[in-house]
Amino acid sequence: MFWPKRIGSGIAAIAVCFLIDSITHHSFGSYEQRIIALVGIYVTLAVSLNLINGITGQFSIGHAAFYQVGAYLAGFISRRYITDAGHTPPPVLWLIGMILVAAAGASIAGFIVGLPSLRLKGDYLAIVTLGFGEIIRILVQNTDALGGSYALDKIPKIQEIWLIWLLAFICIAVCRNLLKTARGLTFLAVREDEIASSAMGVNVTRVKVTAFVLGSAFAGAAGALLAHYEGLITPATFTMDVSFIILTMVVLGGTGSITGSVVSAIFLSYLPEYLRTLKGGDGQPLVVSGTAVVAALIVTVLAVAAIKTVLNRHLFTPQKRGLIYVGIIIGAAMLEPLFSLLLHPVPMLANMQVAAAQLRMVIFAVTLIVLMLLRPQGVFAHHEFSWDWVKKILGKGPVPSTEVSA
Amino acid sequence: MHLVPNLLAALNFSTLPEQLVNGLLLGAIYALIALGYTMVYGVLRLINFAHGEVYMLGAYVALFASYHLGFGPNSTATSSSLANLLIMLFASMSICALIGVIIERFAYRPMRGQSRIASLITAIGVSLLLQYGGALFLPNSPPPSISENVNPYRGSFVVPLSSPPPSLAIAVKQLGPEAETKNKALQDYLASHPNESEFSLSPAAQPLKDQAQDAQRKLDDAKRELANSGVNITIRNGDVIIFFTSMVLMIVLTYLVRYTKRGRAMRAVSHDFDSAALMGINVNSIITFTFVLGSALAGAGAMMQATFKGTTITTFFGLLPGVKAFVAAVLGGIGNIPGAVLGGLLMGLAETIMVWMGYSRYADAIAFVILILVLLLRPGGLLGSDKVEKV
Amino acid sequence: MIISSNKSTFKLAAAAAVLFAMIGCDTGKAPDNKPDTTTPASTSPTAPAASTASRKSSTGEGNKYTSGKILIGLVASENGDLRPWGVDCEAGAKLAVAEFNKAGGVGGKEVELRIEDSASKPEQGKSAAEKLIGDGVLAVIGEVASGITAQMGQSCFEKGIPDVAVGATKTTLTDIGNTQFRVCYTDAFQGPVMANFAFKELGLKNVALMTDKKQPYSTGLSESFKATFEKLGGKIVDEQFYETGQTDFKAQLTNLKAKSPDGIFASGYFPEVGPMARQVKEAGLTVKMLGGDGWDSSEILNTGGEAIIGQFFCNHYNNHEDRPAVKTFLDKWKAAYPNNPVPATTMGALGYDATSVVLDALKRSKSLDSKALRDAIEDTDNFAGVSGAITLKGNGGNPPKRAIVVKLTKGGQVFAKAYEPNEVVK
Repeated sequence: MFWPKRIGSGIAAIAVCFLIDSITHHSFGSYEQRIIALVGIYVTLAVSLNLINGITGQFSIGHAAFYQVGAYLAGFISRRYITDAGHTPPPVLWLIGMILVAAAGASIAGFIVGLPSLRLKGDYLAIVTLGFGEIIRILVQNTDALGGSYALDKIPKIQEIWLIWLLAFICIAVCRNLLKTARGLTFLAVREDEIASSAMGVNVTRVKVTAFVLGSAFAGAAGALLAHYEGLITPATFTMDVSFIILTMVVLGGTGSITGSVVSAIFLSYLPEYLRTLKGGDGQPLVVSGTAVVAALIVTVLAVAAIKTVLNRHLFTPQKRGLIYVGIIIGAAMLEPLFSLLLHPVPMLANMQVAAAQLRMVIFAVTLIVLMLLRPQGVFAHHEFSWDWVKKILGKGPVPSTEVSA
Repeated sequence: MHLVPNLLAALNFSTLPEQLVNGLLLGAIYALIALGYTMVYGVLRLINFAHGEVYMLGAYVALFASYHLGFGPNSTATSSSLANLLIMLFASMSICALIGVIIERFAYRPMRGQSRIASLITAIGVSLLLQYGGALFLPNSPPPSISENVNPYRGSFVVPLSSPPPSLAIAVKQLGPEAETKNKALQDYLASHPNESEFSLSPAAQPLKDQAQDAQRKLDDAKRELANSGVNITIRNGDVIIFFTSMVLMIVLTYLVRYTKRGRAMRAVSHDFDSAALMGINVNSIITFTFVLGSALAGAGAMMQATFKGTTITTFFGLLPGVKAFVAAVLGGIGNIPGAVLGGLLMGLAETIMVWMGYSRYADAIAFVILILVLLLRPGGLLGSDKVEKV
Repeated sequence: MIISSNKSTFKLAAAAAVLFAMIGCDTGKAPDNKPDTTTPASTSPTAPAASTASRKSSTGEGNKYTSGKILIGLVASENGDLRPWGVDCEAGAKLAVAEFNKAGGVGGKEVELRIEDSASKPEQGKSAAEKLIGDGVLAVIGEVASGITAQMGQSCFEKGIPDVAVGATKTTLTDIGNTQFRVCYTDAFQGPVMANFAFKELGLKNVALMTDKKQPYSTGLSESFKATFEKLGGKIVDEQFYETGQTDFKAQLTNLKAKSPDGIFASGYFPEVGPMARQVKEAGLTVKMLGGDGWDSSEILNTGGEAIIGQFFCNHYNNHEDRPAVKTFLDKWKAAYPNNPVPATTMGALGYDATSVVLDALKRSKSLDSKALRDAIEDTDNFAGVSGAITLKGNGGNPPKRAIVVKLTKGGQVFAKAYEPNEVVK
């Protein structure tokens, strides 16, 4: 009864990966393929950081460092062995080997960073992880054998989207299944109260280091996949802001929620590419005026304030609230041209032409702030996706918008 | 293997005194920014990632102030005065204070009571918004910089620690006239041959140029030998101004925090947020006050940085100093005001000594290495308490 | 989620995964999987590209013109560190396309310039290029920096789309393959030009290097300058490093001062070089400063103040040059962009040139597809660009271009000396 279910789900996961892979290859161009691959890598990164940050409560903001260690380790070995020495191992097996090597390398790095976490708390740990990331980046940048500040290039390309997604699934499965075991619960205990959990006999040291080692191993594996997908990696790919973006994915989805990490990783890594598709009527890049931008910002502030008021005062019944939110958003959308008109006399704004591309990061930042203001616990809070939950929704009709929207 | 001899060979002890001074002067700016991080952290337990962006906006305010004072991109004004610098400083400090308060009111206050990591993400969001949103409205392409003419105190002075042998000074004097005559000969030739320039001489005139260059080189070499033979410290006027202004501001800050009623209230809030509120302290106004102080210091730092070091200003101006100052704050023990100053100065010294040792490639990494080592030995930072933090 | 509870399941899943992988790699996925189309002939990363060596041919299909306007792509840094160059490059490219369409396009068809942002980041630049290729562009133009171009160029090579880089001077860049071109000179030329100028014209003997270790451009340029300068008989007394965004150079300069250099070669970009020049003067160093095309901006005079006056750098062309091509270009620019009457950096002209090279090739192209267009670009012979004549024929993507050394004066850049491609000791 039990075993067939396990084997079945294992095979199902692999089947899904192959499905993703073949759909991707058959229906999309290489641009979309690459996005799907990168999204998969980001899912792995977010879920593995969630293990350290969300589940174990260790505040790490240097996840890109482990990603970089994995990418450079695997990239370097592959380049030396295949490109420079001319060996031709079977690509997929080689890639799997490299994933394991990268995971091992990154987990050693994770162990080194995890050790200080025995003594450091909260923000102090955060700055150590950040510092570690910078140290790695500067070392790589100054090592000529790794391509220095330019790039480690000529890495043999082994582009296996199914492997990328399989790693993501394995990462999800490990985190999820960990939480169902007694040992996994000790991770949560450490997050909730370190002193109390150590009083209850939890080996806090071991839990923290395990979380770091496991989380960074997955990040390293993701790095190996990136290196072989791109064929060329640069130190610029692993800067501090990448760490911030991964952290943002974790928090936005809901700290500790694996589902949340997955969903927000998909959302946030696709968002910049989606914004690329915004075009004006004639196919040219969308250009908006400065007044429209400022008006949109003002309207956003007003709408957020209005929604927040309704939310905080618990006005109306949950069902009605959903309607009111929709009303506020529609109202805000209608107000925008009005403000735009009001601002028109300001010559500086009226003359300003802003290309949509320039707005990409602004929209990203605003989305971040608005979501945090309206739903600080993250979109999914601590909830996980489960079939029961789906049944509940289907059985009881639409859930109140406070549960799923925001 | 050859690391140790290389290490020793690269060390030049005659420049060590100057490098130590450099390090301290550099650290003053880090300390000034670090204070803002540490004060906000002390009161709210929030890493204010947007602090670097407040600093960036301070530089823009100083830039616009300098434009209004008549030192715009195309202006020809050359004489300036202390008053101009004070106006720029005041403008930066006051507008930064205002911006800090606005950020607190609209982004951080609604997040109070939420998990700290959510506030942190909001701070990152604000920081990104100011960096990229600012790029839409503020001049950043090409990145402008404040005209050097606004600073009446340009230049530097030399503090001699040991004087060079007098024969060198005599040599310089003797070589001077020859270089001058040779150069004059070349210039005369060029003046009389309008279709030849310094870089397209006819072969006949080439010796003239060679002679002029040789004479000039002998003179310059003698000058350099003179400059390098004694041990002395070259200090830039701007750095001195930055250092003393920073010190004055820090003393004012210490006074405000230690000896005024508001300062006491601030320390109470920092010690225990809820109890302070129960004791009748208006927590909101104290937090606003904290942001005013921290942001004003950032504004002062930005103005001085942009004015005296000529840094080009983009909306990413605050990124690197922000991170370094944050590290300094943690190094000293975040939440601790003297700690931030100590951390800043140490950071400056560490970086400079790294450069002195010939490892300028790794100067930025060393700050983090030291930080990690310090934190391993003293988990609460140098002056911070290492009691177990209860979240 | 999909895998049921208990951690031993995970082990099983992993084992199964590996098993499947082994089966999978032998059977199912032959057609759409292209492992390693790009293992390049191993050239060492520091060896200069042999200019006439035959390059790898792209096996990509390329895009074909179908209907409507002819699409040409541009990847520009509209955001991030490289924005000053990105916006100029974009404006130059737009100008060329507008002019081309006004003149009737090719065979009655107009050209549409699709622009994507790279945000100054290599991986975003790659996304941008792939997006453009997916949109059906026949050729890609860009980028201004080598790190980004390397990533983009790789994608273009795989797809068989020609890429004409604008200001990417990294020497080995065109090793990517036969789809990679550029309209600028390489660091292997620029560095030697400045070394020759420093040694022969300025009579400098002991030069120190200031290198921005974060920029591949800067490290590459310092290297090529050093090699030639030492070959000529000069001495590199010291090399100090800084990082983009650094504001204080006093510590580095104190070190340099003790080494008594008579010149400093600052190979970075102007936002750091300007303040550095001010600080060089204040540190009491009496030296000549020299640099590469990264200095090129109207802003450097303000940023560098008095200290930058009288210093020299290497440039592609100069707004004050007395050539008709430059004058016409500046007039056109002024008419098109009244708010920004003079291009602030040379990327304005190089963006214009890169686009013009592609458009010129389009006219000569045998058919409207990437392959024919690539051949036509490769055939570009003595094209009269704003920045000088561009010949791609037989040059492996690296046009031999003249470089000029300019002197900074209060009034702007003044021409000092021109170097033709063959008159430099390397």
